[in-house]
Amino acid sequence: MGAAVLAAAGCTREKAQIITSDADLTAALRTARTLAKGAEALGYGDIAQDHLTHVETLERLLLPNVVSEEEAAAPADAAALAEAESTGSREAADSCLATESDYAVVLGEIAASRAAHAAVLA
Amino acid sequence: MTAVDTGLAAEYAAIYAYGAMAVHLDGDPRSLAEALEAEHRSRRDALLDYYDAHGLEAAPAEAGYDIEHAGDAAAAGALLLAVELNVTTAWRAGVAATEPSEREICLRMYTDSAVSLARWRLAVGEPVATPWPGRPDR
Repeated sequence: MGAAVLAAAGCTREKAQIITSDADLTAALRTARTLAKGAEALGYGDIAQDHLTHVETLERLLLPNVVSEEEAAAPADAAALAEAESTGSREAADSCLATESDYAVVLGEIAASRAAHAAVLA
Repeated sequence: MTAVDTGLAAEYAAIYAYGAMAVHLDGDPRSLAEALEAEHRSRRDALLDYYDAHGLEAAPAEAGYDIEHAGDAAAAGALLLAVELNVTTAWRAGVAATEPSEREICLRMYTDSAVSLARWRLAVGEPVATPWPGRPDR
């Protein structure tokens, strides 16, 4: 059997590498970082701490494929932060329902936590 | 017993507890307690619709639930906080369901219960923020 046939079948001498990359977790991480900065900027330290806990957990789950931090505009006031929390909650809830990974509960917890933040900020 | 069964039982117990504790509350806490009791009733009704839609039989509420005696507003507030936490914990467990419609209803109930829990925590002067609502302590 020729090398070209083996390569076409996915049989090569390259060493297999397990890549853990979950788009849902990455999206949740980006949003958690943005919400943490927004809450901190507005003086909601306890809410910011919740998001930082999410960040820490998501980064650990995504290792070694953690995306770098990006610049994001902070919400102008509590109402804008509440809206961002609601949007982030829906994003995590959609991911929770769609995921086939083992991370449904983590995504659900993040959705619930963000929904609770939105409710108390509103 | 499914996760939805467990969640429905927790909602029944919450409705009973709010009914029993309301007498100890006044003012804003009383108003919020009435609003949250109404939300638990709405969730119960939505759950009964879920059972009907899926051809399942829902367990009825029990005649009474074994809850601690509360002699004043502070004790009533603490008891209702424990009740809200219990409901949230019950629904959180259901989010792990692999059947899509079961996961969907459990997630909806879980998110709503986390909001109720936060609102009641605020009312009784407890810290509101928590990264993992209803996650049992290890």
